[in-house]
Amino acid sequence: MGTSRFPPSIWGGDRKRSAEPLSQLLLRLMSLRGRGLWFRRPERIPDAWAGSGSPTSPSPRAVELLFAAMQRHLGSYPLSPGVRVKLVSAGFQTAEELLELKPSELSREVGISKEEALETLQIIKRECPVDLSRFASVSISGKKYTALELLEQEHTQGFIITFCSALDNIMGGGIPLTKTTEICGAPGVGKTQLCMQLAVDVQIPECFGGVAGEAIFLDTEGSFMVDRVADLATACVQHLHLIAGSHLEEEHQKALENFSLESILSHIYYFRCHNYTELLAQVHLLPDFLLEHSKVQLIIVDGIAFPFRHDFDDLSLRTRLLNGLAQQLISMANNHKLAVIWTNQMTTKIDKNQSMLVPALGESWGHAATIRLILHWDQKQSRLATLHKSPSQKEATVLFDITAQGFRDVVVPSPLSPPVEPSGNPRKRSRDGREEE
Amino acid sequence: MATKKLTRIGLSQDLCDRLSRHQVVTCQDFLCLSPLELMKVTGQSYQGVSELLYVVSRACAPQMQTAYEMKLEKSGGPSSAFLATTLISLDEALHGGVACGSLTEITGPSGCGKTQFCMMMSVLATLPTGMGGLEGAVIYIDTESAFSAERLIRIAEFRFPSFFNTEEKLLSMSSKIHLYKELTCNEVLKRIESLEEEIISNRVKLLIIDSVASVVRKEFDTQLQGNMRERSNFLAREASLLKYLAEEFSIIVGGSVDCTRPRNSRVWVPMRPHILLICVTLSLNSNCLPLTALLPWN
Repeated sequence: MGTSRFPPSIWGGDRKRSAEPLSQLLLRLMSLRGRGLWFRRPERIPDAWAGSGSPTSPSPRAVELLFAAMQRHLGSYPLSPGVRVKLVSAGFQTAEELLELKPSELSREVGISKEEALETLQIIKRECPVDLSRFASVSISGKKYTALELLEQEHTQGFIITFCSALDNIMGGGIPLTKTTEICGAPGVGKTQLCMQLAVDVQIPECFGGVAGEAIFLDTEGSFMVDRVADLATACVQHLHLIAGSHLEEEHQKALENFSLESILSHIYYFRCHNYTELLAQVHLLPDFLLEHSKVQLIIVDGIAFPFRHDFDDLSLRTRLLNGLAQQLISMANNHKLAVIWTNQMTTKIDKNQSMLVPALGESWGHAATIRLILHWDQKQSRLATLHKSPSQKEATVLFDITAQGFRDVVVPSPLSPPVEPSGNPRKRSRDGREEE
Repeated sequence: MATKKLTRIGLSQDLCDRLSRHQVVTCQDFLCLSPLELMKVTGQSYQGVSELLYVVSRACAPQMQTAYEMKLEKSGGPSSAFLATTLISLDEALHGGVACGSLTEITGPSGCGKTQFCMMMSVLATLPTGMGGLEGAVIYIDTESAFSAERLIRIAEFRFPSFFNTEEKLLSMSSKIHLYKELTCNEVLKRIESLEEEIISNRVKLLIIDSVASVVRKEFDTQLQGNMRERSNFLAREASLLKYLAEEFSIIVGGSVDCTRPRNSRVWVPMRPHILLICVTLSLNSNCLPLTALLPWN
């Protein structure tokens, strides 16, 4: 066939080795080069590089990477199993060997149909670009950042406020974007209320300190009440009108024109999932939905535990499905720069004759969310929120309250304090005037 | 629709045959497999498997509605949104009455009046809409044999003497209440699963289960090790079935649950508070039996 295959001894192992990580391959290449063995043959050099006058001279690293990519074992490509078996039995080991053939030749030699041969070659070409100029500027793993870039991003990152300033403070500003947050709590403590409040708060215009986004609500428990959301939205609109009234700038008034009850409700996209299959299916379809509705900044899954807590005899399947779900949600949070929130139930753990309430779905589920908020009651029947797990804020507990207007701070009545001016920062609520409504 | 068969969503016949050889028949089976397993089972490449996943997900994913559309739907039929309990302060606290389309739990210690409350609600549901009723039938699942037809008639007679002035009306009212006696957990579950046809054919508007906790307490002893999980499995399944029925047919579903009082506490706690939505608690603390409604936002 005219191709020379490298004897196995150069690679230092037997032929049937599975794909090894690129870094290891490179190390070995470097060490072999140091020994004076340089096995790039002239006829294998791509045209763009062999003196055709291309202006960019590829860096040695890019060349090494290209070379390593070409030598990648076929088993690491997402080919269909039947085709892969046939290719291996025909003696093909690496991508490079395949790329030299045309589809018709490949199909004849291996015994697969022409369409399958074409598909296989396309898959390999897509993952292993022959064009060197692509390598010159872009690194192989395109999602590499330095910590400085991440720091800049984090500074400009928005938060979704909850209207409870104590809670916002312990969370560093509110629910952060690009991260997943879990809200656990006993029934009736306010998890769904917080979710509904956030679905309204994500739409607050930017000049008031919000992120001006839309929300997706995946409901598995059926506890979404439209009338309540309408109440929350009305209260939010009134609150913003009050703030805008004290500002003389035009942009506040203009932003408020589009911020009405109708627009808030039309930007909450609601899906009712009756069982875990529908939930899984909808999460599979969410990336396409996000492409169509690019302003979505918040995904809420209300009741991620509910469909998984019954009908599951096979716990390992449940763990696998939950982990897959969590991974998809995390990748959506990262790629589309949105916040993902899910609510979890509490379950009783009996430990040495003492029972305590712990979040449901097991210990391993605790790793899925980046931030964990636990809502609970205390002895005096007031509601507390504890920031249980967070990578950047310390653990703290605050009081919160749920009023007719929604999720708010607990108001400590102080009749002697003078009326406070509404401050410039719209996140800080004024103490009086609002609560008397 | 999780149990939608793959043959109906437009996949090619030989692909469906291939999948059924591996016991993958419904959308649910398909979505439970990982991409690698799917590649092995279908013999397609990763790209092909992603497309198949998309098609299957499309077939069983729920429809999208914006909250605004939901609000418009609701305001289209305000009269059927609530069933007023005729206890004025309770109706005020509940913003109209017991809500349609959701699950309501009625709890209290024994003897405080839960079954009486359920019987009164049954009478109210059969009244015509002009009088504040739902003009529909009632399904009453009784697990404690506490339902007394005599008492039902007495309630109707004394509560609405002007309406139930003839024996005929009383009899027609009682014929609209369908009573099922189920004494074990499995029977209760089977009965709930088979209710759809009855609900549609008899135009049922109210479903009452009296009581949810007694069957569970009889069969699951929480002192034993594995029983907690089985019990919560059963209850979660029951809750999700009831919620589905409530939402699908826009009916009122009420379950009564006993209360226990844990040691060292003065507060009565519903027996298994994890799952249900609105909790109307009857408490025995004073003479006139105040009803405290624990709403999500009070």
